[in-house]
Amino acid sequence: MKESFRQSMAWLHTWTGLMFGWLLFAMFLTGTAAYFQQEISRWMRPELVANADPASATQAAINYLQARQSDAESWFITPPSARNPATEVFWQPKKVEGKPPTRRKRGETSAMLDGGGHPVTIRETRGGFFLYRFHFDLHYMPVIWARYLVGVAAMFMLVAILSGIVTHKKIFADFFMLRFGKGQRSWLDAHNVTAVFALPFYLIITYTGLVTLATQYMPWGVMANYASPETFFEELFPGRADVPRSGVAAPLVSVSPLMGIASRTWGGAAVGSIQVTNPGDSTAAITMTRSASTAIGARGESIVFAGPSGKLLDRHAQEGGALATQSVMVGIHAGRFADWALRWLYFLSGIGGTIMVGSGLVLWTVKRRAKLPDPMQPHFGFRLVERLNIAAIVGLPAGLATYFMANRLLPLAMADRAEWEINSLFLTWAGVLL
Amino acid sequence: MAVPPTRTGSARQRLHVLARAIAAIIGGYVVTALAVACLARLLPMRPAEASIAATLASFAIYAGIIVAIFWAKSMLRVCMGLGSALLLLGAALYLSILTGGRL
Repeated sequence: MKESFRQSMAWLHTWTGLMFGWLLFAMFLTGTAAYFQQEISRWMRPELVANADPASATQAAINYLQARQSDAESWFITPPSARNPATEVFWQPKKVEGKPPTRRKRGETSAMLDGGGHPVTIRETRGGFFLYRFHFDLHYMPVIWARYLVGVAAMFMLVAILSGIVTHKKIFADFFMLRFGKGQRSWLDAHNVTAVFALPFYLIITYTGLVTLATQYMPWGVMANYASPETFFEELFPGRADVPRSGVAAPLVSVSPLMGIASRTWGGAAVGSIQVTNPGDSTAAITMTRSASTAIGARGESIVFAGPSGKLLDRHAQEGGALATQSVMVGIHAGRFADWALRWLYFLSGIGGTIMVGSGLVLWTVKRRAKLPDPMQPHFGFRLVERLNIAAIVGLPAGLATYFMANRLLPLAMADRAEWEINSLFLTWAGVLL
Repeated sequence: MAVPPTRTGSARQRLHVLARAIAAIIGGYVVTALAVACLARLLPMRPAEASIAATLASFAIYAGIIVAIFWAKSMLRVCMGLGSALLLLGAALYLSILTGGRL
C-alpha cells in the first residue's frame, strides 16, 4: 500500500511536471526577474535622474494634469519613491455619451514627469513592467486565456510539489549530496537540492499565486452569496461608484498637507498612489492609498478627502479576518514590502525554483534516454521533449539578454520601439527552438 | 525509483490513467466548486468574508482531491467517492439555497 502510494505519486509528479514544465519555467524566471522590476525599468530608462520630493512632485503633477486634462473622469498619480525616480500619471478621458470608450495607446493617456511636473523624454520601453506582466498575462494572446492557462499550470505545480515530496522522499537526507559529473544522478541531485533549498517558498509562492487570481479561477464562493460579482466587489470596496459631476467648478486644494495627514494616519507610511475623481468639479474627491512597500498586506489602507475643501470624507474600514488574510497572501506573493535583504532572498529562491523546474525537465529525458531501445535514434516524442527542453531552458534566458540589448541598440526614434524590444525577445527564443 | 514504464503500458493501462486524470481534473474541480459554494454559504461570517475564506481554501481542497483520486485503489472507489461527495454537497447547497438566508 505504502509503496503503491509512492508509485502513483511518482507517476503524478513526472507527468504533471512535464505537462506544464516549460510554461512554469518561464513563469518562474520572469516572476523572479519581476522582483527587481523597478530596478530593471530604471536601467532600461537611463534618461531618468534625481530623486524628487514626493509631495512637491505630486503637486507639480497635479498642475500638469490641471493644465492639460481638466475634463478627465479621473487622474491617477504615482509619486516618486526610493525605487522609482519618476512621477507616473495616467488619466481616464472624459466619456462621450452613447459612445463606447475607445481603446487608446498607452502614451495617449499617460505620462512620466520629473519633480517639476515636466514630461521627461525617454526611450520608448516597457521596462521591467513587461516581465512582471508576462509572468501571468503572457504575450501575443488574450489576457483572459493567458490567465486561465497560467492558473492551470500553477495548479499542476501545486500537485507536482505535493507529489514530489512523496516521490523524492529521501530529499531531506540527500540534501547535502551534490555529485557532479555523474549524469542522471547529478541532475537528480540538482533537482533535489534546489527543491529542498526553498521548499516552503515554492509551496507558498504557488499557493499565493493562485490566490492572486482566485476569484477568476474559483468564482463559486462569490457566486454562492451574490447575484453578480459586481455586488460583491461593491461591498468590498464601497464608494468607488461613479459620482456624476455637478457642473459647479471648484479648484482643488493643495495636496501636500493632505499627504502629510494620510501619512500620519498610517503611522508615518508613505502615500503610494493618489486618485482624483471629477477634477475641478465641486464633487471632486482625492483618494490616497498607502504605499505597498510599508506593510505585507497588498491592499493598502486608503483615505478619501473632499477635493475642494480637503475635508476628510472616508477611511477604509477595518477588514475582516478572511479579507486581511487574502491581502497578506497576495502581498507575500508580490513581495512589494520587501527590503533589500529580503528582496534578494526572494530573488535567490526564485532562481532556485527556476533551476528546480529546469533540472526536473532535463531529468525526464536523461532518465528515459538510457532505457530507449536505441539511444542513438530516439522516437519522436522523446526528440520533441528534448528539443522543447533546450528551447525553454536556453531560449528564454537568451531572449531576456536580447531584450536588454535591444533596449540599448534599437534606434530611439523607431516606430513601436517598445513592442520591438519585446519581439526581439521572442524572436531569439524561437531562434533557439529551431 | 519506481516510475511506471512509459512506452510499454498496454492500451488498457493508458485508458485507466486517462480515466483517473479526467476524474481528478474535472470531477475534482466540480466537487471543489460545490464544497467552496457550501462553505461560502455555511461559514458563520459576513457573506463577503465567508466567500473569500472559502475561495482561499479552494486550491488546498482541489489539490487534496486530486492526490486522493490518484491514490485510490480502484476506479470503482474513485467513482463512489466522487458520487457521494457530489450528492452530499449538492444536497447541502440545495437545502441552503431553498431555505433562503443569503443571496
